[in-house]
Order: sequence, then structure tokens, then C-alpha cells
Amino acid sequence: MMVRPIYAVLEREVVKMFRQRTRLLSAMVRPLIWLFVIGAGFGTVLERASGGNYQQFLAPGVLGMTALFGAMLAALTMVYDKESGVMRMLIIAPFAHYWIIIAKTLSAALAGFVQALLLLVVLAVLGFLSVKMNFALLALGIVMTALSCAGIGILVAAFTRTLDNFAAIMNFVIFPVFFLSGALYPIDNLPALLKITAMVNPFTYAVDLLKHAMLTPLQASATSELSVAVDLAATAGFTVLAVILASWRFSREQAYEPLIHILTGKRGG
Amino acid sequence: MNDARPATLQSAVLAQALSKRYGELLAVDNLELEIPAGQFFGLLGPNGSGKTTTIHMLSTLIRPSTGSAAVAGHDIRTHPVAVRASIGLVFQDSALDRTLSVAQNLRFAGLLYNLHPAVIEQRSAELLELFGLNDKRDRPVGSLSGGMRRALDIVRGVIHHPQVLFLDEPTIGLDLPNRRKIWRFIERLRANTGMTVLLTTHYLEEADACDQVAFIHAGKIVQRGTPQAMVEAIGRHVIEIEAADPAALADALKPRLGPALKDGDLVMFRYATEDLGPIAALQTELGTRVKALRIRRPNLNDVFLWVNAAQVQK
Repeated sequence: MMVRPIYAVLEREVVKMFRQRTRLLSAMVRPLIWLFVIGAGFGTVLERASGGNYQQFLAPGVLGMTALFGAMLAALTMVYDKESGVMRMLIIAPFAHYWIIIAKTLSAALAGFVQALLLLVVLAVLGFLSVKMNFALLALGIVMTALSCAGIGILVAAFTRTLDNFAAIMNFVIFPVFFLSGALYPIDNLPALLKITAMVNPFTYAVDLLKHAMLTPLQASATSELSVAVDLAATAGFTVLAVILASWRFSREQAYEPLIHILTGKRGG
Repeated sequence: MNDARPATLQSAVLAQALSKRYGELLAVDNLELEIPAGQFFGLLGPNGSGKTTTIHMLSTLIRPSTGSAAVAGHDIRTHPVAVRASIGLVFQDSALDRTLSVAQNLRFAGLLYNLHPAVIEQRSAELLELFGLNDKRDRPVGSLSGGMRRALDIVRGVIHHPQVLFLDEPTIGLDLPNRRKIWRFIERLRANTGMTVLLTTHYLEEADACDQVAFIHAGKIVQRGTPQAMVEAIGRHVIEIEAADPAALADALKPRLGPALKDGDLVMFRYATEDLGPIAALQTELGTRVKALRIRRPNLNDVFLWVNAAQVQK
């Protein structure tokens, strides 16, 4: 019953993603800057202190970052949809409104997944992948990362009226999610407060999952800090929770009627 | 779907004591509305009178505060999804993705209604032909003119062949030629499909084609009937007099012509008979004291003005 409507939302996402080539290009360049500029810079310090290859350590983190930005930005387009006409098509369609949240979450996750896959190709070309990696776990890891990042994005989108303050969302959501995870450094080394923050951040578990998949077993035991089962449970659990919360918010009368008035441009007319 | 109540089977729309309150404001007040299947129904009224709120309650986007309604036999409170499956809604503002092409928009809309892609293709071709848009299939919606976009919005609203179509001010913001075009499209659509259409407008001349119209004022239906009967009830003629002091003139002529409607420096009287002799006499009598005196047939605009004046006086 819901296959075609969900497919419609996914198809639109893909059409738009490949049309916005600059967005796609920056989604590839951003992680590479981190990998080669930040990675090389800090690498000189860190490798002297602890040994090991910092860029190798960073590779799962920047892969996660690509999924994070791809899925977050795609989920946030739901706020634009409210301003353009697309949300009108969705709210008048014959299905319960939580399906809109589910479809948007899946399409945002798809955007993050596709962009992470593209980066994976780039990383392979640059020699960051090895045949010793667990590719099944890597695929699962990217899926779970994309889903949980889409969950963060849909939660922000459901509670946001306009994207006028997009910079605030970058500063207070996307950057903290990225920095307060294990993407750049092991969370074990963080001060207690930051460590607690990292432990409630779903992205921490997503990146940890990617580390399990991408680092060789020897490296992985040193750098991934949680078990695969915990990572999977945390990312899956968070995604479901985010969808439920966002749906509740979206269909709640008080949140919903102002939306109708935004969509129709008037009150009580 | 077993929620069709026997009483509502023949009615496309049946609203009973439907009300919507926003804090202090009673946007819709105990509205009673019955639209037989297949009818072309006009809901008319000034801005802010509750037309859009009524349409949004009937299309399940807003929950009524009290009262009930059934659309196409489905209860709007208990079966909103069934209601949405049987209606089409054309919003006042465009419900299209401007960055996608005409065909991509219709595909998106059709898939949301669970239509097979081949069915969408076929219906898109038919409807775009009917609406004169068949050469625009691959154009981005953002590059279409306002009139074409509105036409496409209606195509989008009927791609799933709804039983009831809600049109909320479909011609607002369009110039006259485009408004006429949209009306021709709606006529053709009704002729082809026989669907029930509920339209709101404040361009009253457009509602002449309706089978039935209702005037809504402050959330209440204050008058309803066929456009012809309502116009006939106004009288045989409307006498319009332009004068420097309309208030004094209205008072002076009240014993002879009855109550007047003032609109700027215009005074309007209803005139019940075909015998225009007294008016000719009046014209001679007033002479150059008035700027102009016109005799014309009444139309729905007059109904609207008189209905509103009666409401304001209350």
C-alpha cells in the first residue's frame, strides 16, 4: 500500500540530489579536506605521541561525516518543503501523516547512503580500503549511520519552523554531533562531561560501527570502543525513537494547525 | 470501507453543526451544508468569512472543534484517510515542486495516490491535453506562467479521479483571460467526469455557472439557493445613482424606492417591476443634481452586497 508513496519521495530525493551537482561535489570534497588537511596536520603530532596512522583512524570518521551531512541536509529540506508546495501534496495524500515522516527519514537516509558510497569509491581509489575489511559490516554500518543521521535531521526539521537560522542549526546540531563523537579522537580520552555527551550522541555509535568494519581486527580492537551489538542497537533504537518523536510533533494539533496556515497563507479565511 | 452512513450516500458533502474555534475567534459557526453528488457548488463570502477553514475541515487537514461531517460517505473525524482518498484539493497556493518538470510533478502526485506508473502516464496525457498543457510536459514548473501553473495544480488535484473536488479560490491572482481559461477547464472536467465540485471564490460572476451557491458570513451560511433564484429575489432591476451626497439622496428616495445600498458615491436601489416609467420620471426630476443614473439587471454581486449589508446591520 505504502510502497509507491514512499518510492515517490525517494525518487524525488535522488532526482534532486544528482541535479544539485555542487552539493554532491562539496559532499565529496569536505571529508577529503578533513582527511588530508586536518588528518595530516594532527597526524604529525598524534602519530609521534601514540604511533599508528591517524589518517587510517580518521577514514571511518569522514565516511560517517559524509553520511551525516548528506542525511541531515536532506532531512532538513522538509522545512523547505513546507514553504514550497510539496508538503501540500503530502498532507492531502491518502495516508496517515506519520508516513510523511517515515518517507522523509528514509529518503534522507538514502541521500546520506548514496553520498557515503560515492566517498567510499574515492577512498578506495586513494588506498584507504583494504581487502581485509568486513564489507558486509561496512554496508550495514553505512546504512545505520545514514538512518540515525536522518533521524537527527528529521527531529530537527520537525521542531523547526523556518530555515532562516540555518547557521544556528550547523553550529548547534551538525558540528557538535560530529565533534562530540569518536570520529576525530577516541572518546575514552575525553573529559567526563564531553564523554557523557558523546555517549548519548547516536553518531558515536554509528562511527564506532564503521570503525569495526573499516579497521583491521588488530586496529579495531584498539580504536573501536563499543561492541557491534551495542552500536547496532543504539543506532536502530535512536532512529525508531526519532521517527516516533518527529511524527508525534508533526501530527500534534498545535504544531500541525500553524503548519496548515503556513501552507495556505492565511488564518481562518 | 464500511463507514458510509445510509443518510450520506447521495450527498457528496454533508456537514452538521460544524464549528471551528481559534481561541476567541469562531471561524466557522454551526455550519450546515449538504451538497448532492455531481453538483457544482459555490461557497461565497468575503475574505476571512470561514470559506478556507470549512474546506480544510472537510478535507481533514483541520479538526473541527465541534460538529460532524461526511465527505463521499466517509466521516472526516474517524476516517480521514478514506476521505482524502476520495477527494481532490486545490489549495489557494500552488502545491507543486517548481524545480521538477510538469511530468515529474504529476508522477510524484500520482504515486502518492498509489497509482500505477502506467496509469499516471495515461491520465497525465489525457489531463494535460484537456488543460492545454500537452506541449509543456518536460518543462520545469517554475518556468510556467501563473495561469498554466494553476491549471497544472488542478490537473494534480484530479489525477486520482476524486469523487469530490475542492477548489479554494482557483482563479485568485490571475488576469481575466487566464481566469476564463481556468473556468473552461473546470467546465470540461465536469462534463468529462461528472465529479462533485465545491468551489470558493469572491469573483462572484464566476459562480453564475454553479448549480447552487451559499453565502457565508462570519462562519455562518446566511443564504443559499440557485444563482438564478437569488438574483431574481433581488428584483427586476438595480437602479444605480452617482451623487455628491449619497447619504442625503438615499434618505430622500427611501419612501419611493425603499432601502438603499451605499458604495462610495454610488447609491443602489432594488427595483421589483419591469415598469420603468417611474424611473424615467425620477431621472427628469433629479436632472443635473446627480452625476449619473443607471438601470441594469441584477447579478450575483448584488446578492453578495445585499447579503453582506444585512449581516453587518445585525
